Amino acid sequence: MADSQTPDPGKGEFQDPLENYDPPTFDDPLERGLHEETVTAIQSQPYAAISTETSVADALQKLAAQEISCLLVEQDGKLVGVFSDRDLLNKVALEYADVKNRPVHEFMTQQPIYVDETDSAAAALSVMAVSGYRHVPIVDLEENIIGIVSPQRVTKFLRAQLDKAAS
Amino acid sequence: MGLFENMRTAPVSELTLREVVRISPDASIRDVVNTLRAAELGCAVAVDDDNKPCGLFTEAILRMLLAKDPACLDDQVADHLTTAFPWVKLTDSIEMVLDAMETKNFRFVVVVDENGKITGLTGQKGLMEYVAEHFPGEVMVQRIGTKHYPEQREGA
Repeated sequence: MADSQTPDPGKGEFQDPLENYDPPTFDDPLERGLHEETVTAIQSQPYAAISTETSVADALQKLAAQEISCLLVEQDGKLVGVFSDRDLLNKVALEYADVKNRPVHEFMTQQPIYVDETDSAAAALSVMAVSGYRHVPIVDLEENIIGIVSPQRVTKFLRAQLDKAAS
Repeated sequence: MGLFENMRTAPVSELTLREVVRISPDASIRDVVNTLRAAELGCAVAVDDDNKPCGLFTEAILRMLLAKDPACLDDQVADHLTTAFPWVKLTDSIEMVLDAMETKNFRFVVVVDENGKITGLTGQKGLMEYVAEHFPGEVMVQRIGTKHYPEQREGA
């Protein structure tokens, strides 16, 4: 007979997989700030979005008019891609006359890496470092677009974190 | 030392510098675009005879030119270089890269030696890679991936 105190594996007793998890600790004030702040502490709005059927010409004009480097491409409110300066350089610039009226979904970067709004600021920076993405979209739990983290915004955020750590 | 002290004291030479895409001011924008595509980079640097940087051509400049006049591809790049680009010395602190990017609102920063000769390129990616080294757990999550890894480089 099994001891009532002994867990019976056959009964699938719950074992918390995180029971021995020790969250990381940081002595460095800047590392602590980047780890503890969520990505929403980095300015992520306003952002500009277009539909998948927007023409390349219209997307280009929107980028230029707003003086931004990246548009989020959405379908039914969900993020499906980004269209950026790099897409223009690599896929559009030399072919512009032939492609200007085609839909942007043919030239966008599909399924971009994004971060959740609850992720740390360090996570967004790590996405940029590892994947080479310069713009990182932020989505909520339903994968609705919240905003976008850009190089300029990250720079400003890092500057503020450095100043905060110094004070 | 942690990230805070490292950024203030470590020199730019500790960043992973990118190889410079050098262009002639006489080149056409079309040629520069082809060069940038081959190098998978968004910034080219015009240098003078002393190997000193004299102008930058970036994908942001290309965007504005294309939006204004798609026929710009046959222009000489010399007419569209920006000379107000950020630069740092190899011996400057990494924090200076951040300041240069913020002040000039560029994501590329030219790196020069003590004689002003160009030695590399850094900027947002180099800085993010340096910061991310201090968060190996986050980097591991990105490398193993809870989300798919992109088949193509952005993009953005």
